[in-house]
Amino acid sequence: MTDQERKRRHLPLTRRQFIKGATLAGTGAAMAKAGVFDLGTAHAQGVGTTHFLPGPTADYQVPTLCEMCVWRCGVIAKVRNGVIEKLDGNPDHPHSLGNLCTRGQSGLMMTYDPDRVLYPLMRVGERGSGRFRRATWDEALDFTAEQMLRIRDTYGPEAMIFSSTHNLSQPLFENLLNAYGSPNYGTQRSLCFNAMITAHLLTLGIQEPARRYDGMNYIILVGRNLFEGISTSESRQLMERIAAGAHVVALDPRFTKTAAHASEWLPIKPGTDLAFLLALINVIISERLYDSWFVERYTVGFEELAAETAQYTPRWAAAICEIPEATIYRIAHEFAAAKPYAFVHPGWRTSNFINSFQTERAIAVLNALIGICPEQGDCIFADETAVTVGVPPQPPYPRITALRLDGVPWKYPLVPLKLGVFQEIRDAVLSGEPYQARGWFFSRQNPIMSIPDRARTIEAFKKLEFIVSIDIILNDSSWYADVILPEATYLERYDPVHPVGNRVYIRQPVVEPLGEARSALWIYRELGKRLGLGDYFQYVDEEDYIRQQIAPFNVSLEQFKQVGYFEVELPEEGGERRWNTPSGKVELASETLRNAGFPAVPVWEAPPEPPAGRFYLLTGKVGQHTQFATQNNAYLTQVDYHTQDLWLHPAAAAERGIADGDLVRVTSDVGQVEVRVWLTEGIRRDCVYLAPGFGHRSRGLKIAYDRGVSSSDLHVTYTDPISGSQALTQTFVTVERA
Amino acid sequence: MAEKKRYAFVIDPARCIDCRACLVACRAEWNTPPGQTRIWVHSDGPRGTFPNLTQTYVPAQCHHCADPWCVEACPTGATFKREEDGLVLIDEEACIGCGLCVNACPYQARFRNVQTGKADKCSACFHRLAAGEQPACVATCIGGARMFGDLNDPESTVSKAIAGRAVYRPITDEVNTQPMTLYLTPPDASAVQVNPTRRDPVPAETFWHTIGLPVVKLAIAATFAGQAAAFIIQLLKGENEYEDA
Repeated sequence: MTDQERKRRHLPLTRRQFIKGATLAGTGAAMAKAGVFDLGTAHAQGVGTTHFLPGPTADYQVPTLCEMCVWRCGVIAKVRNGVIEKLDGNPDHPHSLGNLCTRGQSGLMMTYDPDRVLYPLMRVGERGSGRFRRATWDEALDFTAEQMLRIRDTYGPEAMIFSSTHNLSQPLFENLLNAYGSPNYGTQRSLCFNAMITAHLLTLGIQEPARRYDGMNYIILVGRNLFEGISTSESRQLMERIAAGAHVVALDPRFTKTAAHASEWLPIKPGTDLAFLLALINVIISERLYDSWFVERYTVGFEELAAETAQYTPRWAAAICEIPEATIYRIAHEFAAAKPYAFVHPGWRTSNFINSFQTERAIAVLNALIGICPEQGDCIFADETAVTVGVPPQPPYPRITALRLDGVPWKYPLVPLKLGVFQEIRDAVLSGEPYQARGWFFSRQNPIMSIPDRARTIEAFKKLEFIVSIDIILNDSSWYADVILPEATYLERYDPVHPVGNRVYIRQPVVEPLGEARSALWIYRELGKRLGLGDYFQYVDEEDYIRQQIAPFNVSLEQFKQVGYFEVELPEEGGERRWNTPSGKVELASETLRNAGFPAVPVWEAPPEPPAGRFYLLTGKVGQHTQFATQNNAYLTQVDYHTQDLWLHPAAAAERGIADGDLVRVTSDVGQVEVRVWLTEGIRRDCVYLAPGFGHRSRGLKIAYDRGVSSSDLHVTYTDPISGSQALTQTFVTVERA
Repeated sequence: MAEKKRYAFVIDPARCIDCRACLVACRAEWNTPPGQTRIWVHSDGPRGTFPNLTQTYVPAQCHHCADPWCVEACPTGATFKREEDGLVLIDEEACIGCGLCVNACPYQARFRNVQTGKADKCSACFHRLAAGEQPACVATCIGGARMFGDLNDPESTVSKAIAGRAVYRPITDEVNTQPMTLYLTPPDASAVQVNPTRRDPVPAETFWHTIGLPVVKLAIAATFAGQAAAFIIQLLKGENEYEDA
């Protein structure tokens, strides 16, 4: 028997051979290389083809879409023996460009999370006790429909609150709540990007400006931490520009991983980015560095802007934002000189201070001043265009007359209806004003973790008569639900298609769902039928829904599934550039704002500052987690080391007798946590930082439960009256040794 | 026979964002047990004082050395250097899990897999290479910090990446195993743990060389000596005469 045969038969080596081999290895490599002993000769000489190297293999591959965040990268899923083995980035998708981020790579562990909810659950113990029993789908759906109909018939449909997140199935969820007739819809938006979207809508008539990096030589990042708040393709494009020598300015009170790669890091005082940006506008206007062709042709309100910003000199700003006057002056000149290959990034999560809306307005205006639409090329800031797909027929929605609990528009006149003010809904449940909500239906949302002041959110949950949740694992909010409907993971289900540019992509099942988990498309339709709203869900099954979506195009579902996408020819945009604003131009001064009683041009608004002895509590993403949804992922918890500690500057620590690694007590106006401290030079002395998403309280999450602490325990609720955005950094805390 | 490849990793720390997608990609590809990993991103926190700070992140893995000490240390030949492309690989069937290679590697790039009991380390995803794909860590790297390819092919990513640039190998005066990882910035030993260190032999190894092996040799010698003595004695004494019972 040769060694190769022995290996294939999985027979152990004899003890004699082991001793022989070990002896030779011990006596030196020269002998081994000379081929002195039979056992190792072939190996040592590297005849690799005869070795036993099985390696992971796949039976088949499926193109689909990621759902580990909302960027929706293309995924190639590899499957062996019915088990997902590996996920790779799809090179044929513009959001992944062949890469997947940390979370995308970990995606299969969401499907194989031992804490998954695999069957419908109904609460048997007290609310929040975590005592549930397994139910059948019929039982759970019948009970849910019965409760929702009872609430509608007793209190009106507005007594039912709906919440979902930015999923591909979100339009179907919105269909359900609109058909049911409730005006109360809360999403993550006001906790995240209300300021950015509202400001860009009012200035440019664009709600989500596309970012184009091609050829960009000067990029100013106002807190946008693209190397930790990762959007795969965009993060990669930024790195490509850095490698090509572009100048990147990072404004952040914290030395983030983006700051580490930037050309210059400016540790700006929190809440004063607005002063910095107004000073850039001041220099660019007063020294005529703007693009006069663009300004004359495409903007309104330039004179008013010039008059207002005349006072915001670099010297004025330097005293406020703690960046040297000369630096501000230099950056204004460099930025304008680089036009049109320069831009200030509009940011994403911009829920920092009450003045975040003005900050975002200043960004939009600044980009307009240097001519965001160069004559020769694309608009840097254009709305993302995409193919319009088919929809199943349905009747019109019932007319809704009830006031919205989130105060839009009766309290917040300029907040776009679809953005809303999530945190206000929680407070309305508690106050019972303008009327008492009775039920809450959330799909893949986790308000207990996401809305500031967790204690109050839990209190609100306890006040409700009925809570139903669609979830994959027992998240904190589901822990307080009465019924939990298990959704299949993104690797197990179909979703509505996703158009990107001139392509349409499909999310399709890679494997069969575990347990009795079902797609959202199925759940909404089943619930719709039971609520008497079946006409709003006119599809037989998921495949039928997608067939109706792709009906306008000459493509079969089978082809679509095999390739993962199809292309459509988009009509060429021609003629004069039009701006979707009341004036049809870029509104440096906005009549809409003026009419609502707000300043028409960007103005300085001083943010509140912490009283002596307190710190700004900074938040901001880490590259290893998505919001509050991934902390139970067994792969991600292997690589999220060093993300749960409180950042503190050594000088501030010394004043308080705090040493690195100490347990400290952090106290805000609404809560207190105890957490380990990490002393770092990478943060301002007046700030501390805590990553979001840790400190889960659901015991249904075996990994995430009680791991780290939650900043939601500390955050105080403040709402910007213009954009409805929560101001997360306006929470001030004390830090002392525990 | 096709021309031989000379596979190498080229790593550009200036492009690493420490997102750790590579670590998860590797874990998913190889199902590495929790608490163990085949690859790393080294970092030591920001250096300097506020606000003048720098920080680098340095990806690392097995360097697939041209002069691999692990291969020399392996008593069964399970660890070998593949002739056609230079990858240092482990034949799991032949590995007895003795751990001598783990100790021999000056980069601590090896470990004993707690689930299989065998030696484990980066294999450059040889199966993906065979299928025309990049290693999992390289394929998913957002910053483009991890690169892999054939240095003998002037058109490969790695050849192009190092063309006209200074490259740095993680070696010291004392340890030079000819690692096949080329860094595009000098790996600063004070900042990150990428430079090699020669490690003392493990107790089992020491025991084997100082006591075990001499005892065995002595025993063999004694056996031979005994046999020889018996033979001589027999010669001298002549043929024994046996009596029938």
